[in-house]
Amino acid sequence: MNNSPAIEVLNLHRSFGGNKAVQGVSFEVKQGEIFSLLGPNGAGKTTTISMLSCLLRPDEGDARVMGHSIRSDQMGVKSALGVVPQEIALYEDLTARENLNFWGKMYGLRGSALKIRVDEVLEIIGLSDRARERVGKYSGGMKRRVNIGVALLHKPKVIYMDEPTVGIDPQSRRNILDSVIALKNQGMTVLYTTHYMEESQEISDHIAIMDHGKVIASGTHEELVKLIGGQARIELTLNTNAENVIAEWKTVEGVDSVTAEEEKISALVNDSNLVLPRLFESATRHSARITSVEIREPNLESVFLHLTGRALRD
Amino acid sequence: MKALDIALKDMLRSLRSFFALLFMFVLPLFITGMFYFMFGNVAEDGEFNLPKTKVIVANMDAGGPKFNVDTDNIPGGKDADTMGELIVGILESDDMADLIEVSHAASPAAARAAIDNQTAQVAIIIPKNFSDQFADIDGEAVIEFYQDPTLNIGPGIIRAILNRFTDGMAGVKIAINVFMDEAEQKDQARVGEVVQRYLKISLAETEDLEKELLDVHVPASENAAAKSENFLIRMLGPIMGGMMIFYSFFTGTSAAQSILREEEERTMPRLFTTPTSQATILSGKFLYVFMMVSVQVTVLLAAARAIFGINWGEVLPVTISAIGIVISASSFGIFVNSLLKDTNQGSVIFGGLITITGMVGMINTFAMGSPNADQLGDVSLLVPQGWAVRGLTQAMRGQPINEILITLSVLLIWSAVFFIIGVWRFNKRYV
Repeated sequence: MNNSPAIEVLNLHRSFGGNKAVQGVSFEVKQGEIFSLLGPNGAGKTTTISMLSCLLRPDEGDARVMGHSIRSDQMGVKSALGVVPQEIALYEDLTARENLNFWGKMYGLRGSALKIRVDEVLEIIGLSDRARERVGKYSGGMKRRVNIGVALLHKPKVIYMDEPTVGIDPQSRRNILDSVIALKNQGMTVLYTTHYMEESQEISDHIAIMDHGKVIASGTHEELVKLIGGQARIELTLNTNAENVIAEWKTVEGVDSVTAEEEKISALVNDSNLVLPRLFESATRHSARITSVEIREPNLESVFLHLTGRALRD
Repeated sequence: MKALDIALKDMLRSLRSFFALLFMFVLPLFITGMFYFMFGNVAEDGEFNLPKTKVIVANMDAGGPKFNVDTDNIPGGKDADTMGELIVGILESDDMADLIEVSHAASPAAARAAIDNQTAQVAIIIPKNFSDQFADIDGEAVIEFYQDPTLNIGPGIIRAILNRFTDGMAGVKIAINVFMDEAEQKDQARVGEVVQRYLKISLAETEDLEKELLDVHVPASENAAAKSENFLIRMLGPIMGGMMIFYSFFTGTSAAQSILREEEERTMPRLFTTPTSQATILSGKFLYVFMMVSVQVTVLLAAARAIFGINWGEVLPVTISAIGIVISASSFGIFVNSLLKDTNQGSVIFGGLITITGMVGMINTFAMGSPNADQLGDVSLLVPQGWAVRGLTQAMRGQPINEILITLSVLLIWSAVFFIIGVWRFNKRYV
């Protein structure tokens, strides 16, 4: 993996009227890695991607894509980029092949080079046998694949994928995530935006969490989880109101803290595998019965909650 | 090259659209075809003819002061000692033979009865004192026009012919009155001479009546002239031309709307993420509009020629006027769409603006044969469609090329204004 940055984002700002959509966003994406921008809807991810695609001009700041400035060398940026927009952006009354032919021409491909590349991309997206059908007749998942295929036509060094799995079935989502990993394996750099924590956790080398137009945390999955100390949360309910049980749990080895809210008891623990049997023993000693248990391993959701006080899906 | 790719892609999309084809080609031809079948019947030789209007004339005119007009100047070359005979002469002239079948009634009552019995469609009753009243400075010469109330076209033509004639005669009367009031006593002896000269001129103009009423143009060639003699085909030319212009503006606006549609389909932003400049993308869209209208106009001109036998005139004049139509319809579409926020607003524009401006531009066609056609024709020049109609009509009538070029120049000015505003607004929109 090449360590020189594919994308350098330097203090980007963008407002719409009085609304500051992006406020001083900076990050760096190394060549050949999958970098996720994770955040709830309205966090500023799409605005950031739009500026990096030269669709929006930043109010302040700059970014370089494969060394090309989004301010001074937009054609250079666009040539190095493949963009997969959030919504399907295809001509539904044209066939998949006609769509790819047209978009290939927009990326400067001509003649036999275009034809060969269109055939290759149809193969990659698995639609060679249905290339002559109009896109309007495709399922949502198939359209998504063509939508991605368009961005691959000119073999870009960098691909932006803006929430490519929104509103599709689990099987198509799986296919898309696999194709993102395949692109990385081919040496492409992928900038991926999503509000699905599991996706970014699964595919990303590096994650930047965005909220209210700012990057509030950045690092690998492990680095981000460490922000909350790597502790798991165990949520339990008892069949009785046993204050003495809760008092004893606070003294159990490996338990960091215990809080009770109405019927639900939460314990922040270092290792749930070791601690959970001890909690059961303690409850039995006090003739209480645990009626439900839920273990929440440390994850990005917890990190976002920890950093913002809100759930990621809110 | 990329601009052409964009234009060709859009053309492919449009030509796959049933509605685009319907509005571009089918409707203009279909509407013209309806006129074709409404006003014509298929003759044995395959030609179409408007049925002759049966006119019955009760000429009761007893005569008045003798006037002396050369028979050469009277349509049909007949003698005419009275004003009544003059009118009958015009109606029975060879020029009117294709349109009118004239018979005579012995009395006004017999003429009216012929209409009531439906053996004739129009009765013209010339009163006994018609020539006398005409000669009398204070007199009032009135012709009674009695028609089958269920008919419009035939009686309308006859009425227009009579109006044209009586307008001329009224002019004679006014001239005489003014002359009698103003001239010295000794000069009043010249009244007869003045009347003669006025009649001569007026009758000479009356000879062109059919051409004026029926929009007859000077044929492009003798061969074409022979083919264009059929009345229905001459009537269909302006109708088809009007339809073609109306729908070409519709196509221009609809095609330019593809810019807004691409925004809504999200393909426009995606185009801007490719290494293709904004100028190239917009040029491609404008080229597409131009190409669509060009194809439409070319196909309609050829199809109307082949299906209805319409003679559009010489190649050069009709090409010039077609260029005017294409450029003005395209730039109009770009301009209109540049004012819109989205395609929802576009449907209002389609329903309102294009219909209204199109109707105003086609007033000339609708008012064909009306006595007020000239004034209405001026109103049509308030909109570009009116100039486009004017250019095509000039080409069809075989008017001099410099007149057609003047019309083209006006259309180009309209187009330049539309195009500049449209391009400016679209550029601003995507900066």
